[in-house]
Amino acid sequence: MGENSNSGTVPDAVHAGRSTEDAVQPQGHAVRTANLWKIYPQEPRPVEAVRGVDLVVENGEFVAMAGPSGSGKTTVLNLLGGLTGPTEGTVRIGGQEITALSDRELARVRLKRIGFVFQSYNLLPMLTAQENAEFTLLLRGVPARERRERVRNLFDEIGLEGMEDRFPLKLSGGQQQRVAVARAVLGEPDLVLADEPTANLDSATAEALLDVMEQLNRTRGTTFVFSTHDPRVMERAGRLIRLVDGRIADESTPDGA
Amino acid sequence: MRRASGRIWWRIAWRNLGRNRRRTALTASALSFGFVASVLMIGYMHGMMEELVSNGTRVATGQVQIHAEEYEPERSIHETLGGREGLDVGALLDAVEAQDGVAGAAPRLYGGGLVSTGDETVGGILMGVDPVREEVVSRFGSSLVAGRMPGPGEIALGDEMAESVAAGVGDEVVLVAPAADGSTGNDLFTVSGIFSVGVGAFDDSYALVELGTLGELMAMDPGRIHEVAVSVDRVREAEPAADLIREAAAAVAPGLRTEPWSVLQPQLFFIVTYANSMNWVVAAFIFGMAAFGVANAMLLATFERRREFGVARALGTSGLAIGRIVVYEGILLGLLSLAAGLVLAVPLMVFIHENPIDLSRFVDTWSFGGSAVRPLLTVEYSVVGPLVSAIALVITGIAAALLPAWRAVRVPPADSLANR
Ligand SMILES: Nc1ncnc2c1ncn2[C@@H]1O[C@H](COP(=O)(O)OP(=O)(O)OP(=O)(O)O)[C@@H](O)[C@H]1O
Ligand SMILES: [Mg+2]
Repeated sequence: MGENSNSGTVPDAVHAGRSTEDAVQPQGHAVRTANLWKIYPQEPRPVEAVRGVDLVVENGEFVAMAGPSGSGKTTVLNLLGGLTGPTEGTVRIGGQEITALSDRELARVRLKRIGFVFQSYNLLPMLTAQENAEFTLLLRGVPARERRERVRNLFDEIGLEGMEDRFPLKLSGGQQQRVAVARAVLGEPDLVLADEPTANLDSATAEALLDVMEQLNRTRGTTFVFSTHDPRVMERAGRLIRLVDGRIADESTPDGA
Repeated sequence: MRRASGRIWWRIAWRNLGRNRRRTALTASALSFGFVASVLMIGYMHGMMEELVSNGTRVATGQVQIHAEEYEPERSIHETLGGREGLDVGALLDAVEAQDGVAGAAPRLYGGGLVSTGDETVGGILMGVDPVREEVVSRFGSSLVAGRMPGPGEIALGDEMAESVAAGVGDEVVLVAPAADGSTGNDLFTVSGIFSVGVGAFDDSYALVELGTLGELMAMDPGRIHEVAVSVDRVREAEPAADLIREAAAAVAPGLRTEPWSVLQPQLFFIVTYANSMNWVVAAFIFGMAAFGVANAMLLATFERRREFGVARALGTSGLAIGRIVVYEGILLGLLSLAAGLVLAVPLMVFIHENPIDLSRFVDTWSFGGSAVRPLLTVEYSVVGPLVSAIALVITGIAAALLPAWRAVRVPPADSLANR
């Protein structure tokens, strides 16, 4: 990957002396992709998981992505988070093109700006619920007391009180899911990418989680992009994008626009 | 920032070790046993070298010797300390013994000669000694298998020589020796004792005679001796002692040469120096083998955790931080193994030290460079052995973690995340 190819996104003079990735946030869209392709080299035929997606998400949007299994939802989210590189096309996060960043720069962008909820939770098994939830805070050097406080408040809200010291293996799937969501939002990132965040939750818990996310969305302007099969999530979304065979088939807003 | 998150990597590393206890125990035991083996091996070599030096210097030569400048290498009987006039032997001995680190000094006169019982005659080295002073410097007195050290008119023989001439305590032998005045001295001596110091050269060809008696036989004045042998408190500190002795001796008489055992017995010195440098080789060899097992186990362990590393990477952890976890695991594993190794090694060391295994039924005494080592499997206490082994162990733990760590550093954030 090329070095510093992102420097063109913001006039250098404006941010002299500051690192670009810290500075570009307010400009541009939360997410903007152009002709995004992802082809997995596979035998006997390569898999075209994402086929020319042009997606724009404005700051503060609450977007849901639906579509049949295998339609490319997870792949799109991975591409948006820079977890995997596109075969073709570009991804911009907050105006910054991330496709050209080095591994290290990408790691920093993820740490500072993006929260993830993985489809399979992916909690770190040797960390407690508390430690998992506060992981990104810890990476950013937030003091212990503040971390503890933030985790406690959020855990109370999403029904995880008293679970702080449990290891993931001792948590139910739904509880793990909630810890994963906590981990994604606690760092108060600009963008949260969530892969089926409510898939394993009962209605009440799912609603509670959605409440937390919605509140963040409203108060902090955090942008959310979900993939989901869950009508409850689709209902609450500000915009619903339907993926079919790696392409955006249609878009709608619940108001029926 | 770095400080706040630093501890978490240690914590993760520690918990990872606790995750598969069986594997951790197995891996750690490879290192622990390596440690024990290394400590015992080095202790054994250390003991062997101590014995070699001790036998090489405590049997007869002492750790420092004073000669006339021209004495070596011919060892002419005319080259006595202070020239043909000799010197004040008492003053020299006093001056030497006054030095720091000196345990004792003994004057000696040497001559070649024949020892004969009438039936049998052998050639040997006649050594004129002060029996009392020899007690501190040599082992002749403490190695008597019969009788006592020689008084005036008496002689003590090495056991093998005694056997050759078929003489026992109380028997009479004839000594024939070239004297300083060109004549040949001969006289009748009573065997006062038989010694066996365990080093062939002495037991088969040395005969001890009281200093004054030998002087008379060789027509030498009492002020004439060939050698002062000095024993020091610490064999390993012979060199600084030799420097002090040299100065003190020079003040008594000119033309003296004072040398430590490292110069007197270069072969012995070489092998001891060589053996000391072997400590690291031994440790490297033992741990080198352990390293493969450890690296292998860690590679496996990190491979199993690719997914977790991928998650941590996806959350914004740097690759280096991931690698650090693995290196920390190596360090912790090393410390764990070290603790277990110490618990094993220390009692074993004490036990073997207290109960050396005698191999003399299987192996002969090994002679080298004028010294000898008994075939005794024992370990000498030392700080160096455990220290070298401990350092080698921790280095091994870290080294074995490097390849797995490198692999972990390069785990990409995504590929392990696909839900399959
Ligand atoms: N790492 C990979 N290697 C090869 N093919 C892959 C890989 N990841 C995804 N695919 C393929 O890409 C396509 C899209 O997969 P993706 O996981 O994005 O779908 P999805 O919409 O998230 O499905 P689901 O609703 O089941 O989670 C599928 O055909 C899948 O088999
Ligand atoms: Mg998916």
